[in-house]
Amino acid sequence: MAFILTFLLRRIAQGVVVVFLVSFLIFTLLRIIPGDPVRMMLGANVSEVVLEQKAAELGLRDPIYEQYGRYIVEIFQGDFGQSYLLGESGGAAPTAQSKQGGRITEEGERKREESLKTQRAHVIKLIGDGLPYTLQLAGLGLLFTLLVAVPLGIAGGLKPEKWQDKIAFFSSSLFVSLPNFWLALVLILLISTRANLLPAIGYKGFSYTILPAIVLAVELAPIIIRGLSVAIAGNLQQGFVDGGRMRGLPWRQIVWRHIIRNSSIPMLNLFGVQIGGLLLGGVFVTEYIFDYPGVGKLTIQAVLQRDFPIIQGIAILAAGTLVLVNIMVDLIATYIDRRLKY
Amino acid sequence: MATKDLTAVESTKKRGVSTTRRMFQLAWRMRGFQFGLGTFLVLVLAAIILPEVTDLSATKINVRARFTPPFFMEGGTLAHLAGTDQLGRDLLLRSLIGLRNALGIGVASVFLMFILGCTLGIISGYWGRWVDTILMRVTDAQLSVPLIVLAITILGVTRPSAGTIIAVLVLAGWPIYARVVRSVALAEREREYVRGAKILGASDIRIMLIMIAPNILPPIAFVAVLDVARMMIFEALFGFIGIGIQPPTPTFGNIISDGTKYIINNWWIPTMPGLLLIIALLSINVMGSALERARNKIFAGVI
Amino acid sequence: MSEPILLQVKDVSVDLVRGGKATPVLRNVSFDLIERQALGIIGESGSGKTVLSRAVIGAIDPPLVFTSGKVIYRGRELIGESRSEIESIRGREIGYIGNNPGSALDPTIPVGHQIVEKLRAVEPGISKAEAQSRTIRMMKAVRLPRPDERFHEFPFQFSGGMMQRALIVDALVTNPTFLIADNVTQPLDVTIAAQIIRLMHELREDFRTAIIFVSSSLAVVREIADDIIVLNNGEIVERSTPAKIISAPSVEYTKQLLSQIPRIWETEEKFVPEDAVRDEKVILRVEDVYKTYRVKDPKQFFGYNDVEAVRGVTFDVHAGENFGIVGESGCGKSTLSRLLSWVEAPERGTIWYEDADLSNMRRRDIIALRRRFQLLLQDPYNALPPHMAVGRTIAEPLIIHGGMKSKEIRDRVRAVMVEVGLSDSLYGDLLVGLSAGQRQRINLARALVLEPQLLILDETLSALDQVEQSRLLETFERLQQEHGFTYIFISHDLAMVRRACTRIAVMYLGKVVELADNHSVFFDPGHPYTRALLSAVPTIEERRYNADECLLEGEPPSPIGIPPGCSFMARCPLAMEHCVQEEPALEARKRGVSACFRANASDQELIDAAYENKELRDRLFGE
Repeated sequence: MAFILTFLLRRIAQGVVVVFLVSFLIFTLLRIIPGDPVRMMLGANVSEVVLEQKAAELGLRDPIYEQYGRYIVEIFQGDFGQSYLLGESGGAAPTAQSKQGGRITEEGERKREESLKTQRAHVIKLIGDGLPYTLQLAGLGLLFTLLVAVPLGIAGGLKPEKWQDKIAFFSSSLFVSLPNFWLALVLILLISTRANLLPAIGYKGFSYTILPAIVLAVELAPIIIRGLSVAIAGNLQQGFVDGGRMRGLPWRQIVWRHIIRNSSIPMLNLFGVQIGGLLLGGVFVTEYIFDYPGVGKLTIQAVLQRDFPIIQGIAILAAGTLVLVNIMVDLIATYIDRRLKY
Repeated sequence: MATKDLTAVESTKKRGVSTTRRMFQLAWRMRGFQFGLGTFLVLVLAAIILPEVTDLSATKINVRARFTPPFFMEGGTLAHLAGTDQLGRDLLLRSLIGLRNALGIGVASVFLMFILGCTLGIISGYWGRWVDTILMRVTDAQLSVPLIVLAITILGVTRPSAGTIIAVLVLAGWPIYARVVRSVALAEREREYVRGAKILGASDIRIMLIMIAPNILPPIAFVAVLDVARMMIFEALFGFIGIGIQPPTPTFGNIISDGTKYIINNWWIPTMPGLLLIIALLSINVMGSALERARNKIFAGVI
Repeated sequence: MSEPILLQVKDVSVDLVRGGKATPVLRNVSFDLIERQALGIIGESGSGKTVLSRAVIGAIDPPLVFTSGKVIYRGRELIGESRSEIESIRGREIGYIGNNPGSALDPTIPVGHQIVEKLRAVEPGISKAEAQSRTIRMMKAVRLPRPDERFHEFPFQFSGGMMQRALIVDALVTNPTFLIADNVTQPLDVTIAAQIIRLMHELREDFRTAIIFVSSSLAVVREIADDIIVLNNGEIVERSTPAKIISAPSVEYTKQLLSQIPRIWETEEKFVPEDAVRDEKVILRVEDVYKTYRVKDPKQFFGYNDVEAVRGVTFDVHAGENFGIVGESGCGKSTLSRLLSWVEAPERGTIWYEDADLSNMRRRDIIALRRRFQLLLQDPYNALPPHMAVGRTIAEPLIIHGGMKSKEIRDRVRAVMVEVGLSDSLYGDLLVGLSAGQRQRINLARALVLEPQLLILDETLSALDQVEQSRLLETFERLQQEHGFTYIFISHDLAMVRRACTRIAVMYLGKVVELADNHSVFFDPGHPYTRALLSAVPTIEERRYNADECLLEGEPPSPIGIPPGCSFMARCPLAMEHCVQEEPALEARKRGVSACFRANASDQELIDAAYENKELRDRLFGE
């Protein structure tokens, strides 16, 4: 028990540091790189004076440390900020142009701003809206991947050099050579448009998740196939396999009780690092291409539009998720293989 | 506690020729590797030579030849093997030029991230202590940032050039090399001959360069090869989203994204370039996988 | 009345098929095994003995192939039977124990559970509870301490000796008709191996099991076998009782085998009068040296454990001596060798090289000093960088220390190669294909190239076979005569130390428990541990010390949290009250020193003390 506590304490502490680091990095990066969010907000024709005023209001002209400090404080109060551009419904907020009698007046601007401020969506709500869709997509994609990759990987690992292995090898090479955006296009063309089997763009029901999940699955599969077959083939060489045979254990039992168990440790590791990262990366692009209303699409749009608060929020979410997944993976690994504790 | 370990002695009997060399020798003999290498060389040659030789153009507009389907379909000609796009430009040619760019960026970025990652990895693994801790945390943080987000953030602003794209890719890709090399350095550090060298008085730098560096290739050689393919996909992806090298230079990304709107009636416009890319990627990936198997076999046989 | 035949091996031949070529591994091997018989099979490496031990249970898989012959177990042919048939016989009626105790079981599942798993796999009717209680009962029988707890512990928590006992439980738990023990004592320390052999003897009596005991050491096999088969190149060349084989071998090969076994008791020893030793100057002085490592404690929040590897070692090494340090795993000799060669610094105590105090010197000076004393490491394969040519490897120290031109370096390297007996033509070669003996010579050359005066040989000869060892020892001797070297031999091999050393220090759990000249250590040991060690060493000569009297059960205590008092006490036939409370210091004897309260006891006192010791009495007279 003491071990688990020490472990969790240590890892969570480290995780928090990592999340902070990532969040700070992204925060700073956004503000260093050229590309003014205020300009996007107010439109191209706005005057310099108004621009600067708006920017100062948002705190964008303060030193970065101050900005970040304020941001962190707000986070601890549960406020992840509001989108610069999106309205409550998720659509674009009305652009802050106001002409009164053909001229932009300061007072007009201020009035407009007041009303706009209440209309801009909270980051938490936006993320919260998109998260269930993304989770559904990720879950389905993972399911598809496991259905295909696990049997291939195990079969390939158990019979190195035989045809099962060659198929595993070839299929994983094939999958990894298919660019996800191209695959998406082809799938949309063939399955959705030509054969009309599944819907493609947007979301009006569960079936809209299937095509994107397939694309995601193809992206994830190679790593699992490869990792699993290598782990199993490696374990075949271990002393306890031959030892088990000599002691009289039936081969079936050796494979399923011992080899698979020992192989799951490197697989878990793989899972934590690679899948987490891939899932995050792959999800973004897939959602964008299929116009799927998840967190990924939200992010890509936000980045293209320099919508800082959303990007920052997603960064924290992503980093936090990865940290948690890694911690869980390591914890499970020590449960399976006690040596890891020592 | 009461067990002597003689298995280490037994197992390293065959070491002597560098494992790297043996790994390559083994891979060379694999059919997959040969096939991949052959295809790859053909493609590279085609990409270098063909555009110079032919008088077809990749960028000039030729209205009369628009929407020509590939040669195996009705209405196709041998003059345009892969067909033409909406402006009459030959797709094969454009794809080959796209391949040039993709390869250039892929190889350059992997080369740089390899050097950066390996150097940091050796130093960190060998010296340890705070240098190591910092590196581990940095790689952790780095790995939590999806490449896409990083890429769009940086590239979405300025007019992306080959240089900036390479920089972004290197930034995202170096941690793996550092991690793997670090664990190699950690393991080698405990080896008897390194201990022996330290006893003799060898300096740390000497040990790192002469003792450890030659041993780092086997675990990451295949990663590097596979990464070339991976970076090429990213390059294409960036182009597709709009943050890659901009037109009129043809890249896989912008060819495919331009052609997307024509996919329904002229499906070949975005699809054929993709196929060429896939063939190139497949050949590279097969080579890399063969290398990986060679390395696994050698380590399984030795250890 | 003849006992029924269990196993008949008739004209068995096995080939190794690689790349289309078939190499014979076993040729027409025939023998019988009767109930309750102990049959020993000895052979050198490459003789085919492991293949034979597997053939006997039908475990011959590609690339090994049966080419002829039958293996008949209780009337049933084993070769050609279906896999499931063989699997059911294996494990249930025939037990197998191999030579890799550390890796024979799944490292992620507790040991006891795996034994139960096997039991239930080969005896389908048995319930979990019954299987567990049977297993624990057997664990008691093999004298595993605290069997109820051990049942739930993992393989990595077992020492080699403990694991072998657990594997014996695994093999015997189904009460098989016979057991195959393939090289089971090879990975173990001497005293632990002796305990295991004694255990197998007793179990054989209790369980009426036959045993096939395979080994490369005649000295080990003769302890347990009724009959011995000698295997050479896949063929049986001789079969007889141990006594006959040793006294009157009939075949040339066996004679040769016998002649290569090092004699411990009847050998010429290295003798130097004590005063002569003392007169030489002291080249290395070790004074009260301590070394403790901190290891994380997984059971506590932020706790650490202290591993006391070396606990107060003191001795002098005089110029021209061959000083030996012996001990089993965990005695601290490896740590000591690191301290002596200053790879690590002791936390307490000092080491002087001639007059220089190593702990007070700067790094640069120590490096300069290294020219004068060199460390030779054990593993001839790992000690040399695999990617460098021979000449370059030997030249490395000269290059590092600088100051010589390349031509000078080349010449010096060549000269040294000649001195150690390496052919000059090897200069540019890589290490591929070189034998262990050659590699060690390269190691030696590399050490000699700086013209040292003291050489520390840490298990340097352990990886070599007897013949190579002899040759290398001769080279050492020659070099010593020519250059006046001093050697420190650190080893677990008592036979080697007997041959090569003038004075010997015996280590146990981080301390030197005995230090005397060669003859005294072997013929008049002052410490019970030394006696136990000597009684456990396998030998074909007549035993001078009886293991039943000297060697008790048990293993050294863990170096974490060493209890007060003498650390050998729990296994000592002469233990008394005092030993629990106080740790004995090195006491002077007629010759040498020994860390035992009874170091100077008379023979009668020793006998009385042994009699008082309960376990010993039980063993000799009771149960």
